[in-house]
Amino acid sequence: MRKLLVVLLALGLMFPAIAMAEDKAANTAKEFVVYLDKNARDNHYIPSGWMGDYGDIKMNDQAADNPHNGATSIQFIYSAKKSQNQGWAGVYWQNPANNWGNKKGGFDLTGMTKLTFWARGAKGGEIIQKIMVGGIKGTYPDSAEVEMGPIELTDSWKQYTVNLVGKDISYLNGAFGWTTTADLNPEGATFYIDDVRFEADSALKPETKKQQAMPFYVYADRSSIANHFIPSGWMGDYGDIKYDGSSKEDAYLGDTCIKIMYSGKATQGARWAGIFWQNPANNWGGIDAGFDLSKAIKLTFWARGAKGGERIEEFKVGGIMGEFSDSDSANIGPVILNKEWTQYTIDLKGKDMSYIIGGFCWSANVDNNPEGFTFYLDEIKFE
Amino acid sequence: MWITILKGLLSIWMRSSLNKSNSNSFRAAGYRHFLLVACSLLFLFILSACQLKQGVYIQKLKNQHYRLIVNGSPYIVKGVCYNPIPIGFNHEYDWWADPNKPWIVDGKLMKEMGINTIRIYESNNDPEKVKQVIGDLYKLYGIRTLMGDWLGFWEYPCPFYGDKAFQDKVKSQVLEMVNLYKDEPGILGWILGNENNYSCLGHVNPWSNEEIDKEPDPQKQKVMRASIYYSFINDLADEVHKADPAHPVGLGNGELVGLEYANKFCPDVDFIACIIYRGKTFGNLFKSIRMTFDKPVLLAEFGADCYDAYLKKEDQNMQAFFLQSQWNQIYENLANSKKGAGNCIGGTLFEWTDEWWKYNPDNPQDWKVHNTESGWSNGSYYFDIRAEGNKNMNEEWFGIVALSPELENGLNKRIPRKAYYVIREFWKNPVLKKARDRKVF
Repeated sequence: MRKLLVVLLALGLMFPAIAMAEDKAANTAKEFVVYLDKNARDNHYIPSGWMGDYGDIKMNDQAADNPHNGATSIQFIYSAKKSQNQGWAGVYWQNPANNWGNKKGGFDLTGMTKLTFWARGAKGGEIIQKIMVGGIKGTYPDSAEVEMGPIELTDSWKQYTVNLVGKDISYLNGAFGWTTTADLNPEGATFYIDDVRFEADSALKPETKKQQAMPFYVYADRSSIANHFIPSGWMGDYGDIKYDGSSKEDAYLGDTCIKIMYSGKATQGARWAGIFWQNPANNWGGIDAGFDLSKAIKLTFWARGAKGGERIEEFKVGGIMGEFSDSDSANIGPVILNKEWTQYTIDLKGKDMSYIIGGFCWSANVDNNPEGFTFYLDEIKFE
Repeated sequence: MWITILKGLLSIWMRSSLNKSNSNSFRAAGYRHFLLVACSLLFLFILSACQLKQGVYIQKLKNQHYRLIVNGSPYIVKGVCYNPIPIGFNHEYDWWADPNKPWIVDGKLMKEMGINTIRIYESNNDPEKVKQVIGDLYKLYGIRTLMGDWLGFWEYPCPFYGDKAFQDKVKSQVLEMVNLYKDEPGILGWILGNENNYSCLGHVNPWSNEEIDKEPDPQKQKVMRASIYYSFINDLADEVHKADPAHPVGLGNGELVGLEYANKFCPDVDFIACIIYRGKTFGNLFKSIRMTFDKPVLLAEFGADCYDAYLKKEDQNMQAFFLQSQWNQIYENLANSKKGAGNCIGGTLFEWTDEWWKYNPDNPQDWKVHNTESGWSNGSYYFDIRAEGNKNMNEEWFGIVALSPELENGLNKRIPRKAYYVIREFWKNPVLKKARDRKVF
């Protein structure tokens, strides 16, 4: 009996010790695997967090067709059918499975400086909107939220890296994730992911924002990878706005333009409305993101009213204020739109464009548009 | 000038000495002449020192930086907006006539903190009372006053800046103020208006005239209003300069809105008195002003409230954090600073004490309540931006000194908040930190 007690006691001490050893392993190891191969012992996370139009996703986690390494890779087929009416979809690798921050899990990955993965498209040209490391909220939120993208896949394997130097990755439940949209892949996309791992690379330096080359698009076309901001910041009477980012009604350039309908009904009682194009979506200055657009000397865009005479109070660049504020702002307005496409320019000379999360914005009010209006935008870009 | 005088005097002495070099009295005469020269130099020095430019003015340095000079010495405005309305009263309360003299109590606390300037939005109808306040603060505590005028901004139905009669009325009112107080030793300068430029956009107190009404393009209307308004301010500044060459004149401008027009129509103001609420950073403000309207900048109104509208409780740490960050940026942009724009002359933070009447200015019962309802939203103050409707700005909680309903010598007891002490320590030892430093308590 005494022997049994001793054995039980030893086991009782041993299991937490093993668990702790695994937790700390990340701190000293050179790499920490998210996914290597189907059933690989080193896999630490599960691709369980399906998001958005999850009905549009099919996953084969043992695709044997040309894996990058080992015997299998993970194949994703995204149909872009908008099964849940979201227009986007994605998958998070979580620990434990389906953990949206409601339970303690994850790992302390302190010491790792980057996440690498390999990816390829079935045809090439498939677009992943963004890759995420961390970012799951909830009661037990990830300690970091890092994003990278968009990326356009090629039909051969290519390695991608997310720089994590200087990031607090002491708790990551959502180790890796991807999202994409129907706009970016109107015909859907089939792509493969393999060999996802954290690595300790002591030579890696913290990522600094690189100055983006010009022209730099806010919106080029519906499916363009050149689109860098998302029209997510709906303001004021947001219920009065209808947005169509793929209108084919006489686009200025390319096959689509933006069509915006404003009812002027003051649904939320604000008597005004507008949309901010943000990076990432819904970033009101709470996320350190955006772009260094220091090379820009102007923002140009084309606009037309459905009837002509529509009054936009303001077109604007920057000006989002939060913990991570835009470095400057510039605007024009009020602008009375013509019925024909007309190019407008916001002068950025002398402005500090080194940190921009709010790429473009318009706002209008009921007082000057009591019947509401419809207007169109196209080719919004920094130059 | 000094070298020329010295050379002249020395040559006189030398000639005089040489002429007598052969006489027996050379040594004594030389000594007398030396004394004469020395005394002359001393006299000239004293005379010159007495004639050092007195008053207050802006100095542009060789490196194009600006600094404020007061009686010959550089002066950083370490100021506060001052409107000591007691609990239970609203903005109509005549605190200048308060027999308990709140400025005496406040001035002492201000001096202990390191404040050297108060900003007052408008003077009082009774010049003697105004002189007493300015005089008491200066004589007792060395605190100077920046005196302002609303320029009829809140007159019903709107400020008709395009109307000559309205302009004349405002001009007369401002010049009366200047003539009354320009000789008060405690006066530091004048600030014309407070965010009146927003009326040019038509957002606040919109005004127009026949000519503007005829213009169909709203953008051109805005430009027309701005040209009228800033031209008027320029005339006003010229008149003030004529009446009082010894004090600078500031343009009280909301944000940087319209400064490109001020650059064109209002070149004669001495500094821009900016009203700015951008949270922990002023962003590109200082460099932007360099580009658009190259004048010295006084941050005439900025700050943070100390009520967390999300957690629904007072948060003095939050206020102290924002204020320290803001003062840090002010110091980074003073003259001769290494990395800033060098065009800042200081600031007057908003504000000294809480004002309990602000949420409901028309309900006397509410003036006795320290309302926690928030009036507007500003994402720059991000700690409580998740409050309902994102309304996170609590107008009644901007004081760096809280008011207690308890009376002390007839006044609401003053209770300095954390920001009071944090800024006091910062001013003693202004160690500059990076703007993106995180909140650390």
